[in-house]
Amino acid sequence: MTRSAPRSFATLIAITLGALALSSCASPDVTESKGGGTLVYATGDAEPTCLDPHVGGNYPQALLSTQYLEPLVGRTSDGTITPWLASAWETSEDGLTWDFTLKEGVTFTDGTPLDAEAVKVNIEHLQDPETQSSTGYLAVEKIASIEAVNPSHVRFQLSAPDSALLESLSQQWTAMQSPAGIARGMEENCQAPIGTGPFVVEKWTPQQKVTLVRNDDYRTHGPEADHEGAAYLERIEWRFIPDAATRAAALSSGEVDVIDNPQPTTIVTADKKGSGIEHINAPRPGSVNRIELNSGQAPFDDVRVREAFIRAADPAPGIESLYLGTTARSTSALASTEPTAVSNKAFFATDPEAAKRLLDEAGWTTSDADGVRTKDGKRLTVRFPVSTNQSVAAEQSLFEQIQANAADVGFEVILNPVDLSSWYGALGANEYEAVSAPYTKVGPDVLRILYHSDGIVPAPSGYFANHAQLRDPELDAILDQASATLDETKRAELYADAQQRIMESFTVLPLYDQQNHFLVKGATGVTTLGTVATPTFINAKLGDS
Amino acid sequence: MRTALARLCRLLLPRLGSAVLVVWITATVVFVALRASGDPLEAILGGPGSQAGPEATQRATEAYGLDQPLIMQYLAQLWRIATLQFGDSYARKQPVADLLAENLAPTILIATLALLLAWALAVAGLLLAATARGRLGGLVRAGLAGIETVASVVPQFFLGAVLILVFANGLGWFPVTSTGSSPAGLVLPVVTLAVPIAGYLAHVLHGSLAEADAAPFATTARSRGASETRVFFRHTLRHAALPGVALSGWAYGSLLSGAVVVEALFARPGLGRLLLEAASVRDVPVVVGVVTVIALLYVAVMVLAALLEHVVDPRLAVARAAPGVVGA
Repeated sequence: MTRSAPRSFATLIAITLGALALSSCASPDVTESKGGGTLVYATGDAEPTCLDPHVGGNYPQALLSTQYLEPLVGRTSDGTITPWLASAWETSEDGLTWDFTLKEGVTFTDGTPLDAEAVKVNIEHLQDPETQSSTGYLAVEKIASIEAVNPSHVRFQLSAPDSALLESLSQQWTAMQSPAGIARGMEENCQAPIGTGPFVVEKWTPQQKVTLVRNDDYRTHGPEADHEGAAYLERIEWRFIPDAATRAAALSSGEVDVIDNPQPTTIVTADKKGSGIEHINAPRPGSVNRIELNSGQAPFDDVRVREAFIRAADPAPGIESLYLGTTARSTSALASTEPTAVSNKAFFATDPEAAKRLLDEAGWTTSDADGVRTKDGKRLTVRFPVSTNQSVAAEQSLFEQIQANAADVGFEVILNPVDLSSWYGALGANEYEAVSAPYTKVGPDVLRILYHSDGIVPAPSGYFANHAQLRDPELDAILDQASATLDETKRAELYADAQQRIMESFTVLPLYDQQNHFLVKGATGVTTLGTVATPTFINAKLGDS
Repeated sequence: MRTALARLCRLLLPRLGSAVLVVWITATVVFVALRASGDPLEAILGGPGSQAGPEATQRATEAYGLDQPLIMQYLAQLWRIATLQFGDSYARKQPVADLLAENLAPTILIATLALLLAWALAVAGLLLAATARGRLGGLVRAGLAGIETVASVVPQFFLGAVLILVFANGLGWFPVTSTGSSPAGLVLPVVTLAVPIAGYLAHVLHGSLAEADAAPFATTARSRGASETRVFFRHTLRHAALPGVALSGWAYGSLLSGAVVVEALFARPGLGRLLLEAASVRDVPVVVGVVTVIALLYVAVMVLAALLEHVVDPRLAVARAAPGVVGA
């Protein structure tokens, strides 16, 4: 266990200091709300390597590009798809032809018109292997051809019906960019993509900041906008501050106005009355943070052993104590923000006695000197690689508690904290029995990516999404059917069935929603989009109201 | 004149030889480490987790020569280092030379300032210890010894966090973060880097100072009525400084690696942060570029330190030129 212990301790000190820093400066400055000014945002997410979210396609790119790129459709917090750059759409009976009507008179900030041809260029850009798109590429995979019917109408022909198409198109990774911008080539477009958003990329100074200036001609208001016309802020300075304690200190000293990825202690301090800090809790959509058990090899190829692990893990007390009440235990494979999420506590109830019985039944009846159960001379070992880039200190401590709880019934859990690359390496080499991997995607179709047997085959890069290695033809059929069903009610039923089967498989131990918190001090009107919960500053003003 | 040149050559050549060796070993370790930990393709194809199609994978494999035998790739990398042609970053798609150029100056700036500050702090502490008299002197010396020890073991991330808490949040004297080179923003990162080095330096100087203090020339100077301060600066410090100068070369190397922590903590640009980010996505050209530059810097500082030793103590040159003539 303990390669991470000294680090956790160090982090603990750092976050305590961060929280102290916040509490020491709790008195808010009271100033008039007004337009204009520069808002400073400090992110703890990784700095993008390219500002065009078509390239690659990860959360940090979504976070930043929300300020300058906009998608065809939006999504409200209750899951309803709304018009955005597209004002209307129609689907054919067979679900294979989709017609989109574009908003009239919209131009990108370089003056290029947003027309059917531009949409075609964007989808083709996502599908071109040269673009190196991963997230966006998967989202538009089923679009076989794109036709510009006339300037304001674009038609997609699909290779198979795709009920997740609108959800996919609402994501920042498929947002629309100026064709002229794309034509500049990847190197230049990565530096400053051109969109229709409320802000325009002015300059990217790597490792320091991206400066964004207001788009004075902004007119394509998404679901969160509360007024016509341009944003109130003149500029946004988007800074990269990797250390959580430093971000908290910078917020409290007024150097920055908004931070993301705060530590639980910092959130608790901010939540106190009179802190002058607004806390926005905006969990990410798609899957929850969870532990998946590799059912593709021993010992977890036996459902009894998987159930035993889940009955023994007992994560709830750890979640409560480590996250200080800033998040709740989940008992669903989907995020609480997904309207189709199904919760079922029964599958995840803690019961160490049942766990022991299940292990006995599965033949793990003997124990060695360390108290680890054995069977035919083999130890009941669970290799658990932990990505230190994706799991924060609190989560790593939670894994250590689960390790201890599982040890009580005879599991030997080997936690191995490694960097992201080695972590993918371990998964690709099948050197794991348990793993925790985040996955953000709008809508329940994320279940198909994570649990369809197609997801067991690694991509050329070695990545595969079905870490549980679930191979259930019946589940595959349900997921395929749900993906092809445009009837919302029927679709929800199918996803409920799929979730039931996934929970029954005991390959998934849900922990909590993917954490996504923002702290705001000295600004108002900061909201998040109902898609991947990225912040938008269209309504933001400096000063406390 | 000729002997001076010969002496300089004798001083520089072995160090240049070791420089080549250092860079070669570093390059080899980097090559093996990055290869053993996985495929650089994923960095090229949009980072870990990218699901690039077979076409894109094939194209990248050929474009970056990853289909060549390993030994050829290794030789190609050595050649790039020898010619200082580091190519383009896999992740950022920018020339590595540009990234190095952007990040070299901020790191050298804080490392150099930190080394100077460390010397100033160490010398000030020693002077205080040397001149304080009587019972108070004993207290001062004991206190300084304690500070020395604490300073040399305090972890930098902790020190930095405390400095932020006190001087940025509490007193509001300095900004928390430190972009660019605004003088106020430099203070906290430089102090964070300097304090542990100052502790080491003071510790090393302490011992040699005591030795010099008991030497006949110090007694002679005192007997002629020189003040303690004069004895310190004119006589004993110069003697005692030698191990400190030698230590400075090493200290500079540790400052460059300490930059990783400080640059992350104070959100500064620099080689340390560049290296950290590049390594986490296995961006081979950037890692190789940064590591080579740091190795070269380290060697350059070692040479500089050796030259300085000769300036501080000319006997060394004579001793090396004709071994056994002059004892220490």
